[in-house]
Amino acid sequence: MRLKQPIIAIAAVSAFTLAACGGDESGSGTGSGNDDQPDTSEGGNTGQTQDPDREGPVTIDGATEGGTVTVISTSGLNTMDPTEAYYQNTTSILTGLVTRAWTQYAYDEENNTMVLVPDLATDLGRPNDDFTEWTFTLRDGITYEDGTPVEPEDFVFSAARSFDREAFPEGPAFSNDYFLGGDTYKGPYTGNGLKGFEAVTVDGMDVTYKMATPFPDMLYWASFAAMGPIQEGAASDPEKYRLKPLATGPYKFGKYVPEKSLELVRNPEWDPATDPARTAYPDKYEFDLQVEEAQLNQILLEDSAEDQATLTYDDVLAVNFDQFKADGRAAVGSFPLTSFWAPDYTKITDIKIRQALAYAYPYEDADLAGGYIEGVTSLPGAQLLPPGTAGRKDFNPLPDHEPGSTDTDAAMALLEEADAVGYEVKFLYTKDSDSGVKVKDAIVASLTKAGFSPKPVPTTIADFSTLRADPDTDINVRSGGWIADWPSGGSWFPPLLKSTDVEAGILGANYSKFNEPDMDAEMKRIQTLPVDEQADAWGELDDTIMTDYFPLFVTRYGGVAQAYGSAIEGHFIDNTIGMPTWKNIWVNS
Amino acid sequence: MSSGLSVDAVDGPGGEEKPPEDPEAPQQLAGRSPTRIALGRLARDKVAVVGTVVLLILVVLAIMAPLICDWWNIYPDQKDPNAPTPSQMLDGNQLPSFGPPQYPFTWDHPLGIEPQSGRDNLALLLYGLRTSLTVALLATVFSTVVGVTLGLLAGYAKGAVDAVLSFVIDFFLSFPFILGALALAPIITSRFGGDQDTLRRAELLSLVGILVLFGWMGLARLIRGQVLSLREREFVQAAQVIGVPTWQILFKELLPNLVAPIVVAISLSIPAYVAAEAGLSFLGIGLTESPSLGKTVNSAVNYFERYPLYLWTPVVTIMIMVIALNLVGDSIRDAFDPKTRR
Repeated sequence: MRLKQPIIAIAAVSAFTLAACGGDESGSGTGSGNDDQPDTSEGGNTGQTQDPDREGPVTIDGATEGGTVTVISTSGLNTMDPTEAYYQNTTSILTGLVTRAWTQYAYDEENNTMVLVPDLATDLGRPNDDFTEWTFTLRDGITYEDGTPVEPEDFVFSAARSFDREAFPEGPAFSNDYFLGGDTYKGPYTGNGLKGFEAVTVDGMDVTYKMATPFPDMLYWASFAAMGPIQEGAASDPEKYRLKPLATGPYKFGKYVPEKSLELVRNPEWDPATDPARTAYPDKYEFDLQVEEAQLNQILLEDSAEDQATLTYDDVLAVNFDQFKADGRAAVGSFPLTSFWAPDYTKITDIKIRQALAYAYPYEDADLAGGYIEGVTSLPGAQLLPPGTAGRKDFNPLPDHEPGSTDTDAAMALLEEADAVGYEVKFLYTKDSDSGVKVKDAIVASLTKAGFSPKPVPTTIADFSTLRADPDTDINVRSGGWIADWPSGGSWFPPLLKSTDVEAGILGANYSKFNEPDMDAEMKRIQTLPVDEQADAWGELDDTIMTDYFPLFVTRYGGVAQAYGSAIEGHFIDNTIGMPTWKNIWVNS
Repeated sequence: MSSGLSVDAVDGPGGEEKPPEDPEAPQQLAGRSPTRIALGRLARDKVAVVGTVVLLILVVLAIMAPLICDWWNIYPDQKDPNAPTPSQMLDGNQLPSFGPPQYPFTWDHPLGIEPQSGRDNLALLLYGLRTSLTVALLATVFSTVVGVTLGLLAGYAKGAVDAVLSFVIDFFLSFPFILGALALAPIITSRFGGDQDTLRRAELLSLVGILVLFGWMGLARLIRGQVLSLREREFVQAAQVIGVPTWQILFKELLPNLVAPIVVAISLSIPAYVAAEAGLSFLGIGLTESPSLGKTVNSAVNYFERYPLYLWTPVVTIMIMVIALNLVGDSIRDAFDPKTRR
């Protein structure tokens, strides 16, 4: 899953270099109070919570219909094509308000977590024994915004569409990775229509997906907009369809200016009785995008009469957070993001030096310099798996190191032990981002104090990810961040720590160039284990890799601090993705 | 590069010019050069004197920045091992742990502390002044040299050379400055920015380069116009007739007659360059590695609500500096150019 917008995403990645956690709890006094601190043990905790029997309609006690919700944000919407939507904002707006899929998440207010419930399917899907076949049954009486009924064949087309990497280069590629024919079928636009597409079959109202490799997480993939129904006729031209995807949910597209504004109006064809999670109290949503950050904060702080039904899914400035919290207009929560520093495993070969880096990293200073709110948008941690992931094990690879604290003396001692005082650390920073430069300064100061010789390498926001992905770039530490698409270890270890062919110039997301055949074999073994044993095995692997090899260290887990106007009700945080719970929002007039 | 500021308001009719009351005036009139006359007028212009004093203070502060920071025990960056870290200076909400707005005023940090980085605002201000003045001075010197040389050549040479140079001048005048700076700055710095120190120098020089590239045309045009009229005067023709080399005619005969317009152009271009540096750094295409007032303004915008001092400090400083430079520039123009005198 990607952060909100390409540019923002890259900026945030640069912040990842930079991002860090704020040490032990409320260390620095007056800062952000901790009573609102997200419960880290529950963050992204969707793994165990499923409810296959939930039925609609949903009502909220005391909620009133009507009103227009204005949503403001600094970033634009990348693309609103359901198959290609893979940023936090596009995915969550589509699945929350506009398009329906087989499954969906519902907010559980009591436990402050998300529950996987059925959407267009009558249950959460029925797998065969080895998870190579999944069958979903379509509900009766579902229609598109134009009144035409949703047919089971529309799911065949959308699945075929999700194979098309050429037409949708930015979309998620899980269909290619797991579905039958993922390596041969090229998609309906790039290939020859549905010819040769055999992964999905229809039998009455039943739609069956066939896998090439066992895919126990299919019920999560089935919640993506890409797995919702898409009419072959309406979507014949993807360039047009991305401007007005056909709605099955409670709202449909009104006026849409890509990257600038979007208006969502009621879809009268949506039947609340068929929907186990969505409500639709507001009459209209108006998205006003690319608003300046200072202006955005000002609009929400002022809370003047005409702006009271306004909300944002951007993090508010740290300096204003106290005020929003005092007004009771802050929405905080976590989401499954782990930011880390990955020392180059082929260059920094001594584990002591890698451990020294973890001691020397200025977690708290980097938090401040990067504009993070300690304990709210940045949480300390030691495990690669963020809180809430199924099977996550509680351990600390550096028993003497309090996660999120800096200990330059311990780092110095380790460096002396490794006979590497003055070790050169080369890392990228973005010189055209103000906070990027400030975080770089904080890192340089702290590493110098610990006995390293930091050599920051300047680059620009535009070039950052290209340079980082190039194995030949003259740096020996890379910063990265990873957001899980669903709470399973399988979406963490293979992409981040499986050996890659560095010789061939392929780095992927293995930023540390980690290369241990034993661990590759272990990952392969876990993926073939019975499903109920996998979760714990991933947690165990986390411990093994971090303790024995220490290829990377966590600089922070992600959290969000959003704000809303005084007339907005039901703005909680969807902790699977760090966005508002669109399905619960209503306007208090 | 004209400032657009008028001195009408400050230098009313019948101002300080009262030669009849000056008993010594008659004796001195005989032997004074135009420059000395102008300087004398300047010394009697209160606006010019006040402006100059303000500027001198700012320049001294900029030159003494390292000493003042040493004495005050404040640091403009975190390279010094004694410099405090952000977490030592700031609360979790980014506001300073000492002094306004949350705590009573302290002389340790009279202008406050910068959010995010924890640097002292006074140190940033002093070093920002240094950057501003360095950039403005370098840009002025280079653009004057280029402008005067090309102006002299274009005015004195007839025919093709003049046509080509005039076209180049018009070409650069018609080229949008901000657009050029936006396009050029990242290219130059990414080409030369290897490590931090090289990058800092490359940024400074490329900023000066861009300011010069788009700043020499006004003076060149002015000089060309002056030369066009001087060229036909008897002393130039006499020099040509007796075979004085061209470069000598240009620099020995013509240049001394152009001192007044050059001085005026210089005095008015410095404030323009100061403002341009702040503006470009505000837009993020100026300096990133050195402290800059414009950059501070840019970061301070987000904090204005809770921490106005952070924004006011650089804004007021830039304002004072540019106004003082402009007023002095205007006074110099008035002093050197009898036609604008009142």
